[in-house]
Amino acid sequence: MPKSLQCARVQSLRWRLLRTICIAALLGMAFTGMLSYWQAQHEAEELMDGHLAQSARLLLALVSDNESHLADLAERLATARSDQSNLYEPPLEFQIGRADGSLLLRSEQAPSTPLSMTAGYTDVEHDGDAWRMLNMASSSGDYRVQVWQSMTLRDRAALEVAGQAVLPIALMSPLLLALIYASIRRSLKPLDDLAADVAARSPENLQPLANRNAPAEAQPLVAALNRLLFRLRDTLDNERRFTADAAHELRTPLSIVKVQAQVAQLCAGNDRQHALAQIVAGADRAARVLEQLLRLARLDPLTGLPNPGGLDLCQLLRQAVADTRERETARPLRLQLCAPSLLIEGDAELLQIVVRNLLDNALRYTPPATAITLFARQRDGETTIGVADDGPGVAEEDLPRLVERFYRGREAGAEGSGLGLAIVQRIAELHGARFEVENLAAGGFEARLRWRRLSPPPATVAVREREAIS
Amino acid sequence: MRILLVEDDDLLGDGIRAGLRLADYAVDWVRDGEAARLALLDHVYHACVLDLGLPKRDGLSVLRDLRARGQQLPVLILTARDSSADKIAGLDAGADDYLTKPFDLPELQARLRALIRRAGGAAAPTLEHADVVLEPASKRVTLAGQPVSLSAREYALLHDLLSHKTHIRTRSQLEESLYAWGEETGSNTVEVYIHHLRKKLGADFIRTVRGLGYQLGDRG
Repeated sequence: MPKSLQCARVQSLRWRLLRTICIAALLGMAFTGMLSYWQAQHEAEELMDGHLAQSARLLLALVSDNESHLADLAERLATARSDQSNLYEPPLEFQIGRADGSLLLRSEQAPSTPLSMTAGYTDVEHDGDAWRMLNMASSSGDYRVQVWQSMTLRDRAALEVAGQAVLPIALMSPLLLALIYASIRRSLKPLDDLAADVAARSPENLQPLANRNAPAEAQPLVAALNRLLFRLRDTLDNERRFTADAAHELRTPLSIVKVQAQVAQLCAGNDRQHALAQIVAGADRAARVLEQLLRLARLDPLTGLPNPGGLDLCQLLRQAVADTRERETARPLRLQLCAPSLLIEGDAELLQIVVRNLLDNALRYTPPATAITLFARQRDGETTIGVADDGPGVAEEDLPRLVERFYRGREAGAEGSGLGLAIVQRIAELHGARFEVENLAAGGFEARLRWRRLSPPPATVAVREREAIS
Repeated sequence: MRILLVEDDDLLGDGIRAGLRLADYAVDWVRDGEAARLALLDHVYHACVLDLGLPKRDGLSVLRDLRARGQQLPVLILTARDSSADKIAGLDAGADDYLTKPFDLPELQARLRALIRRAGGAAAPTLEHADVVLEPASKRVTLAGQPVSLSAREYALLHDLLSHKTHIRTRSQLEESLYAWGEETGSNTVEVYIHHLRKKLGADFIRTVRGLGYQLGDRG
């Protein structure tokens, strides 16, 4: 299941933020806590060392004042410290002696170590217990004193102090994590709203997203989404219009066939023959509309020419003229060809469709025997191919809409499929050409494809030829 | 019965016209909105079959124009636009009926019959006067229960008179109703058909109102 694995790997922004920030916060707090812990422990030990020194000095002061006081000192001290509940007042053990090492007095539980040790603090092991010991000599040098504190008690006190220092940090951390979680959730809410908005939409709802509430970071995304929605709506509208128009176009020939068939059922003789002929014409119309629709549908998805190659425009026009003369035998034709031999790069089949559609339009929308000219020329590096007539022209307001699919012009009848020029426009796009229509100043109408700067260079252009056919 | 057909498609218009003629309507056919507007201004029709997508002037605009002038003539919209929004717009613009393409010719004929009948103020599907009964659907006419055979013109004339029972119909009104454009009308054809009807239905069935025209008689 590679897909679900891939999905699982997609990281939630919220969880990533939450994880990173929480880890950073926890690390910070742990570091601070440890530092505070060490600091507090160290301070506590210094404090208790100070305490030891103070006691040692007091004892020395007592001795040097009067040795006889010592006799009952131990006893008095023992009664004074009977209550040991206070952690910060650990029992004081001591030995007092003279400079020669003779012992004057010692507390009951003091370890019996010789007094001759060097002055200063020492950690010693005695009878399995750890002790902190301070040796001190009086300023005269006559007396020596040795004070002891149990390491266990000292550590317990230091731990207590350090623990108190760390406690607030430890208490703070869950609160901090909760705050981080809440604020991330809150900050990402606009994104959630956005996602919910998109998710809740029906496929028909292509209104732009409201970007008022989106955070600055998400604005480009919202803008891009809105652009996409806009394009999508445009495309959909076009598709819908096209479908509706196509349905309309097919309904008309179907209606013709049906109504004429029913007429044929109801009458006889010439009327019946006429109706039958009309049925055939209606079916032909349906076939033509379908053909044009399919052609357009095939052209629409193309991004380039299906069969590019070299071709001669003059040849192409000559062929179109010949085909038309063969097809339109009933109608008087005045077709003119005005084209030099012009080699260009293009799709011969598609360009044939262009010429045929333009010629069909010229024939359909002009009175019989109107002069129609098919032309191709190359001038100033521009190549043009097109069809001109000296008929009545096209209403100015219709000109820009002629290439719209199914648009026929307000004056025109319903004969054409309304797709011919849309197909021409599409083929022009595929050829990188412009499709232009205009009413000629001298009267008549011209439709042409124009390429800017197209190979081959003018040197290969043959002598202009002009011929009139029929 | 004279009908205005507005349809821009040559083949379809030809078919509808043929279909309506088969139902003995006189049909005037115009191919764009402007021509339809002018025809409706100048002539009296019993009904109008109107396409919507027309050159020069949209069908809906023609319809609104007609209703703005206060004309009551029944209008049936016949179009390929089949969304309900289009139907609503059409009916709200003043259409009496809406039929979408492709349609059934007998259905179009039946709907027109119903429209014309109701426009004449009759809810019943038959027209009656005295002992004469006319059934538009089957185009059957009976006199005292016995079928009477009438030509298309005679039938149309009888239909017109039965549709305007209390009115006096002038000769030109009757001609308008009998003939489409371009159909030759002799100088005394209406009189000829009136004469035929009197022969078949009884002399007192149709009364001549001197100097004005014709009216149904008070027989029965």
